[in-house]
Amino acid sequence: MSEEQTDAEVVEPPEPIVIQQLRERFSDHILTVIDQRGELSVVVDKDASFQVLEFLKVDFNLSYDFLVDVTAIDYSQMEDVLIEYGYARYMVVYHLNAFLTNERLRVKVPVSEKDFTIKSVVALWNSANWLEREIYDMFGINFDGHPDLRRILMPDDFEGFPLRKDYPLRGRGEREKFNFGRENV
Amino acid sequence: MGLESKLGDSFITTTIDKVVNWGRKNSLWPMPFGTACCAIEMMATLATKFDLSRFGAEAIRFSPRQSDLMIVSGRISIKMMPVLRKIYDQMPEPKWVISMGACASCGGVFDTYTLVQGVDQFIPVDVYVPGCPPRPEDLIDAVMQIQKLIGDETVSVARMAKREEISQATLG
Repeated sequence: MSEEQTDAEVVEPPEPIVIQQLRERFSDHILTVIDQRGELSVVVDKDASFQVLEFLKVDFNLSYDFLVDVTAIDYSQMEDVLIEYGYARYMVVYHLNAFLTNERLRVKVPVSEKDFTIKSVVALWNSANWLEREIYDMFGINFDGHPDLRRILMPDDFEGFPLRKDYPLRGRGEREKFNFGRENV
Repeated sequence: MGLESKLGDSFITTTIDKVVNWGRKNSLWPMPFGTACCAIEMMATLATKFDLSRFGAEAIRFSPRQSDLMIVSGRISIKMMPVLRKIYDQMPEPKWVISMGACASCGGVFDTYTLVQGVDQFIPVDVYVPGCPPRPEDLIDAVMQIQKLIGDETVSVARMAKREEISQATLG
């Protein structure tokens, strides 16, 4: 390899079209773009999360019409991530798939403990109904505009949110205290 | 069956206990409570290769009213436990319980907030089957153990009283 070539300006490959379009429309709200081995992730501001997802679904050329999964992550023990996103403890993650182009996209939305509510996407994808209920059940994140936000896996009278990192693995005595919902037995 | 022609006008003597137990242990009607991978092994036990009908226990009833052997095969969460208890209560006496596999017997690897650490905390278990999941042979062995238990029993109200005692102790 000659000297000239190493000195030459490194030309970065252009960003994927979906990222270009998102930057064009929501430039202030796109926090990070991660492209790891061809897997695209976009970290989006919570205020614009619904609009971004709506655009990704409705836009004719992108048409991310299939919501594969909605899940959440508790980053309370990952200091670097916390610092990067203003100590937002949770991250709600949407996995999207476009049948038209067979492209996949991951949209991550930081949710801080101060404001525990994020806009529900049930209006966009009906399948988000139970997925968001599961996140509410496990992490206690509220979904604004959800038609039926209640526990889905844990018993209705369960206290606490078991997938939070500060929740003990063996529970807080739920299984020991379990008595078929009856007192003094 | 031609037995009468061999016996002629004679008769055989036996005891009520023996006749009743003989009938009970050779026609067990299991109630499958399969919630996990143990249930797959239970199905294998019932299918042709292992064929539980050789031991008279092939008439699986999904209705608890018609069964007398409950096979708890799989994880039981605290949300599922009231269902299990209700189904157990719906089964008519006499009834027996097999706790199949590590999860049903002691929680197995799932030492977590939601899992009942052994169904014997809430229902009386007669035979435990170790394994994760147990081989079909192990379940067949458990059924044979149940048959042995039945053979030792007596047709009396004593058993009912004992059951009630255990039930009171576990549930209150």
